[in-house]
Amino acid sequence: MSRPAPAAVWLKAEARIARRLAAPVAGLGLLDVALAAGQAGCVATILAGVFAPYGAENPSAAPAIWALAGFVLVALLRALARLQAETAASRAGIAGRRRLRDGVMARLLDAGPAVLRQHHSGEIASAAIDRVEAMEGFYARWLAARALAIAGPALIAAIAALVDPRAALGLVLAGLLVPLGMALAGIGAARAARQQFLAMTRLQARFLDRVRGIATIVLYGRSADEARGLAAAADELRRRTLRVLRVAFLSSTALDLAMVAALVGFALHYASDLTLGRLASPGRALFLLLLVPEFFAPLRAFAAAYQDRLQAHTSADALAGLPPSAPLAPEARPHEIRTIAASGVSVAFENVHFAWDAARGPALDGVSFRVAAGETLVLVGPSGAGKSTIIEMLLGFIRPDQGRVTINGADIASIVPGALNRLIAWIGQRPMLFAGSLAENIRFARPEASEAEIAEAARLARVDEFAALLPAGLATPVGEGGYGLSGGQAQRVAIARAYLRNAPLLLLDEPTAHLDPVTEAEVLDSLRRLALRRTVIVASHSAAAHALGGRRLDLRQGRVLAATARGAA
Amino acid sequence: MSALLRIGALWRGRWPSLTLGAAVALASALVTVALMAAAGNRVATAVGAAGLAMAGGVMLRLLGAGRVVLRYLERLFTHDATFRALGDLRVWFFRGLAVRAAGGLGFRRAGDMLARLVNDIEALDALYLRIFIPLLGALVLLPLLVIVIGRRSLVLAAIEAGFFLSAALLLPWWTARGALRGGVRQAEAMAGLRVAALDALSGIREVRAFGAEGRMLALVQARQARLFAAQHAQALRLAYAGAGAFLAAAAALFAVLLATPLLGVASVLILFLTMAAFEAIAGLPRAGALAGHAAAAAARVLGAAEAVPALADPISPAAPPRGHALRFEAITFGWQPDRPAVFEGLTLDVPEGAHVAVLGPSGAGKSTLAALALKVAAPQAGRVLLGGVDIATLAAGELRQRIGWLGQTTHLFDDTIRANLLLARPAADEAALWAALDAARIAETVRALPDRLDTWVGEGGTRFSGGQGRRLALARALLSPAPLLILDEPCAGLDAATERAFLATLNDAAAGRSVLLITHRLTGVERLDRIWRLSGGKAVAAAG
Repeated sequence: MSRPAPAAVWLKAEARIARRLAAPVAGLGLLDVALAAGQAGCVATILAGVFAPYGAENPSAAPAIWALAGFVLVALLRALARLQAETAASRAGIAGRRRLRDGVMARLLDAGPAVLRQHHSGEIASAAIDRVEAMEGFYARWLAARALAIAGPALIAAIAALVDPRAALGLVLAGLLVPLGMALAGIGAARAARQQFLAMTRLQARFLDRVRGIATIVLYGRSADEARGLAAAADELRRRTLRVLRVAFLSSTALDLAMVAALVGFALHYASDLTLGRLASPGRALFLLLLVPEFFAPLRAFAAAYQDRLQAHTSADALAGLPPSAPLAPEARPHEIRTIAASGVSVAFENVHFAWDAARGPALDGVSFRVAAGETLVLVGPSGAGKSTIIEMLLGFIRPDQGRVTINGADIASIVPGALNRLIAWIGQRPMLFAGSLAENIRFARPEASEAEIAEAARLARVDEFAALLPAGLATPVGEGGYGLSGGQAQRVAIARAYLRNAPLLLLDEPTAHLDPVTEAEVLDSLRRLALRRTVIVASHSAAAHALGGRRLDLRQGRVLAATARGAA
Repeated sequence: MSALLRIGALWRGRWPSLTLGAAVALASALVTVALMAAAGNRVATAVGAAGLAMAGGVMLRLLGAGRVVLRYLERLFTHDATFRALGDLRVWFFRGLAVRAAGGLGFRRAGDMLARLVNDIEALDALYLRIFIPLLGALVLLPLLVIVIGRRSLVLAAIEAGFFLSAALLLPWWTARGALRGGVRQAEAMAGLRVAALDALSGIREVRAFGAEGRMLALVQARQARLFAAQHAQALRLAYAGAGAFLAAAAALFAVLLATPLLGVASVLILFLTMAAFEAIAGLPRAGALAGHAAAAAARVLGAAEAVPALADPISPAAPPRGHALRFEAITFGWQPDRPAVFEGLTLDVPEGAHVAVLGPSGAGKSTLAALALKVAAPQAGRVLLGGVDIATLAAGELRQRIGWLGQTTHLFDDTIRANLLLARPAADEAALWAALDAARIAETVRALPDRLDTWVGEGGTRFSGGQGRRLALARALLSPAPLLILDEPCAGLDAATERAFLATLNDAAAGRSVLLITHRLTGVERLDRIWRLSGGKAVAAAG
């Protein structure tokens, strides 16, 4: 027994949850099928009327009024049912995607920066956006089409059985020809088609890759060769794809063949019955003939929706691999602390151990230190020494495997996240600028802040100096699609955020790593003023960061080497 | 609409296969309609005309077999034609982009625009298969319907033609218009959602540190709601168009049913024919929406690939220079007229064989310097000289052969190491490849890989660490026979230790060539002949 792939399991669970949404779509579809049979009945009755002169049952040549009225009524009802079915399908697609995307986003935000260690942010954003969008057809069409592919033909066959059981048998046999034909055309054909679909995706990826690197190609003077290469690859893929499609299309041909066989079979059979006088009226024959396309319509819709399923499968591969919900399950918190006296904050690490990955060894190996309220501590060491791990632990992104981290004597694990956040302002290597104005980016630190407070924070961080040169001052859009800021300017926005936040504990993670010396000195000057009267922990390998003064803590491979006191610069 | 016609013109070379596909599709549509009509007719004629009926049976079987075979061939031929046409379109687009927009794309952030363009090209997939072919079918079925019915009743023929046209043209036109307007709204809503999600996830540290999870989630949800509203409006429009097409078909059938006393036995044939003809065009309203979308996509694709070239080559290029000293002379340049100029009177020298560094804070125009030297952009005033010749008089190809470039945006292709290296010098032999890898100090790493030079580097070089990827790119730059190397922040994204190792490597690897090293700071390991500092739009000589 091979274990089912996680993607298949995920998709099955998803189908179970979404079935309720698809039920109205399938129900309305089934209603449409039933009405189609009624419509065929009306048409057959009226058509039978034209044979009256040839001695059929209806004495009057005028079409039966009830049948005409019935036809109109049924047509209107069908139009309404189809309208409702499509509306319900759109709603099902929306509800399914909303639930899925909200869940994915909440889980990703919950998992925190750890996610970015395993996946590129573009990749997970694409999962949350494109992969979820690609599930639309699965919720809106595939689930209903799958249900209807059995129920619809079954209903038509049952109605046909009331008129002529042999005709019903013929329909069912022709219907069974469809899966049989698909199997005969090669069970492998479907798999080959999927592989081909993947090859197509790869060609698409290659094209995108070449377009992304187009500057490199052009500057090396290779664009003509690359264009030729792309053309050759596309042609080769086309030839291979068609070789597969030649077989794969046979399965759709099975559907065509079954329908044509039923149609021709019915026509010939009833024509000979009528000729030989075994059948009195052509009405029944015409009715059954009209039922043939209706019998196969749900099967065709099913075949058309199959690509929605393929897409859902591709999405499932990506979505099933995302982190499960709530990785930081709150353990028992004996005394949950909601507030901390914010006048001055002291921090202590007591024999803290932590490993990101057991195989790679510990990131922190028994680290202990203490930072008094208002003191500055500079963490020094090469990459991998554990500086960032300490910062992430204080931010609450990770918890010690062993040992304790305390803030004002309270275990950090017992502080509710909201209260912890209020204590801390953090500035990283490359601050994120969100799409929005400069002022909105500063406001991010404290959404309820007033305009005056934002202007004051901008002034203290000297954001106002470069904002004055921008087209719209603090209202200039920055971030995605906005005005690009230099590294130093972005860092000033982060400092303004920290001013606005006005938190007693300031965490700085390599704040000047990507700046040139002149800008670095300016940013350090601003940071020094920000650091006044706050507890500060700085991670840095740049000597300039020592300009912040304070105590120095040397780290090597997760251990404390020495703690040296240093005067302020 | 004119954009769609232009796309059609681009496919001129594929007309034989496109026409063959269309012809088979037409035959298939006609046989499908004929089969349905013949089946109805078979039963109808059996009532009145015993004896004659047996001959018609052969016809019916032939039509049946024909329909199955033709449908199969239709699928095969139309897909073949589509693959050919789309392959052409992609290559055409690539060439257009390479000629016109290359530099701009490489030097400014444009990944998002590119992704959108690729999606647009995909939207053109539907053009032939789902719009052109069914529309052609409708245009052939209409006269057939009119002729067959018109022989019995001209009035009925006119009524049927009216219903047919409204379902085949009017409703698709309505959905196409809606899709054009709604498409813009949908695309904007989609872009808004994408930005919100990307912001929340790329900025997850900020979001968590400032406790903004709830706010960011609410923003994503609000953007998502706007997208869903736009999509639902479009779905409703399609649902109404579909219901409209269905009602048009029902009305056409009703007209036939009303006319049965007039038509007599022929009403069976006409009814089945009408039914099959409307069945064939039932998908057109939906295709109309695709057409609206495709038209917008086509306009964007053409706009990107046909944008006026930034810099045309001179009509009669000057003879290529012998030397390769690079000199910027009194350059004034700004990317856009409405933004402040990047350089104002910049003059800077890179003597032949010298290693020169240009320092400056971000935003001082360091990358612009590379763009000017590579003739990706032209200065508004002043000249760039290579070996004493103004590069404006040189063909861009000739110029770029003499300059090896390693930029922040230098791209490692999702291909083998070998293919990535050969980009710089296609004729290079195995020994030359290893020499370049050795010089870039990455040969040991490559030798240790099981597939060595044939190792796949992954999308954007993701199978290698940042430092290894930069070294591979350096090996590629070193492999190029160019006498002048321009290295634009070659250490972006490397940690300090790797950066120093990389720059130490460079001293030896580029011995004998001119090097222009563009960076925001020096580490102390570089061996330089001269240092320039950019400030206030000018270059100032620093200690060297």
